[in-house]
Amino acid sequence: MEQIKAQVDYTLDLRGESCPYPVIYSLDALKDMNKGELLQIITDCPSSFRNIPEEVVKHGYELAANPVKNGQEYLFYIWS
Amino acid sequence: MNIIKAIFQNYWNPYVALVLAGIFSAIYFGITGTVWAVTGEFTRLGGHVLQFFGVDISDWAYFDLVHMQGSSFSRSDGWIVWGMFIGALMMVLFSNNFKIRIPKQKRRLVQGLVGGVIAGFGARLAMGCNLAAFFTGVPQFSFHSWIFIVATGIGTYLGAKITKTKWWKGKPSLTKGSKNPSAEKNRKIQPYVGGIIVLMYIGLILFFFITGKSLLGIAAIFGAIFGILIERGQICFTSAFRDLWLTGRGVMAKAIIIAMAVSSVITLFVIVYYGMEPITQIASMGTFIGGLLFGLGIVLASSCETGMMYRLMEGQILYLVVFVGNIIGVTALAYAWDHLGAYNILVAGGSRINLTAAIGPVGAIIATLLMLLIAYIIIVICEKRYYKTYKLKNRKEDYIGTDKSAG
Repeated sequence: MEQIKAQVDYTLDLRGESCPYPVIYSLDALKDMNKGELLQIITDCPSSFRNIPEEVVKHGYELAANPVKNGQEYLFYIWS
Repeated sequence: MNIIKAIFQNYWNPYVALVLAGIFSAIYFGITGTVWAVTGEFTRLGGHVLQFFGVDISDWAYFDLVHMQGSSFSRSDGWIVWGMFIGALMMVLFSNNFKIRIPKQKRRLVQGLVGGVIAGFGARLAMGCNLAAFFTGVPQFSFHSWIFIVATGIGTYLGAKITKTKWWKGKPSLTKGSKNPSAEKNRKIQPYVGGIIVLMYIGLILFFFITGKSLLGIAAIFGAIFGILIERGQICFTSAFRDLWLTGRGVMAKAIIIAMAVSSVITLFVIVYYGMEPITQIASMGTFIGGLLFGLGIVLASSCETGMMYRLMEGQILYLVVFVGNIIGVTALAYAWDHLGAYNILVAGGSRINLTAAIGPVGAIIATLLMLLIAYIIIVICEKRYYKTYKLKNRKEDYIGTDKSAG
């Protein structure tokens, strides 16, 4: 995990944001990044725990690591 | 241990949660003759607020229509609402997921209030929200719910358009490099608090049954079941519509349709076998305009009256504002009903149409299942269309199936 963290290019801090903005922001950020860059997402909106990984994968992006549950937050690592 | 984790830690498959909700709502109807609904009670709460401030509401026709008697704690509809809050809260605490979540962008609070007012107003104009005019309305074969669904679809489409604009969407915090999450607390007290709430709630339910108020006891049980299901399934009627337009996500919409089909079959059985009267609301211009406003409002507020309830229990402060907005909206409609002529202009010309009475029970279930099938096909088409446009826009990159982990 430390290895993945060291490679992170951008961090999207979505704490406090509610649906649908976590998914919209995630897709927007990934679209604007260069291919092969790594995005870290920190979110605390419970619906997004499921929506973000499902939607980014459906939109053709790839999870770089398994989602990490951190108390009431979730961390996602996604390749652009 | 794994079962406990699957039930209390992980969210449930939305199909499972929704089908269970559909079955339980049919059973609730069979026992009590009323349906799972929330905004009618919200209207009464609005009435109590007015009474508290000394407003004489005895001649407001709408409060008479919704049978404003007693207090929220002496009504079965009241205990459905409080039970939903408590059931959702239990599950949030068991999964150690309560956290005060405050929107960083203050515009969200304004959006929540505006959307909440519009959604509350629209729901009551149409005689029910996503429950009585939708999820429990279709299985009651009340034709008004079909008008409502179409109108809500259009309303959410307009809402989604607004949501996508820059000034509405706002900007997230995107920074270079890695960032650390909040420090995790080692002591987990939330599940214990949840346990205490469960014990107290069971005590209350027993009290209702012992003192002969079994209807309240039943409502309290079913309310909690519905609360547990909407929280565990993260059931969101707003996203069912909105995400079809925004991100091509059709899971929730499909799950709702399957659940309504199951619920319709069981409800028909209850109606025919026990000779019960289905609950039919007026289908009118008001249903359409109400549905349109409701659809717009729920997308602007990021939640309908049902989703708001478990999100508030998760500690999402935004939904406190949405709740207040809902109450203001339903109360405004109660005022407009007779004082501003909303009833005479929009509703008086309508009529109560129930499919079981109009075309017989067999016709009603065939028509309902057929309409649900059409709705299901429309969703699949919407999903496909979304991805087709998405791929056209992004065709320069061969993004599917590339193995980036190797690079």
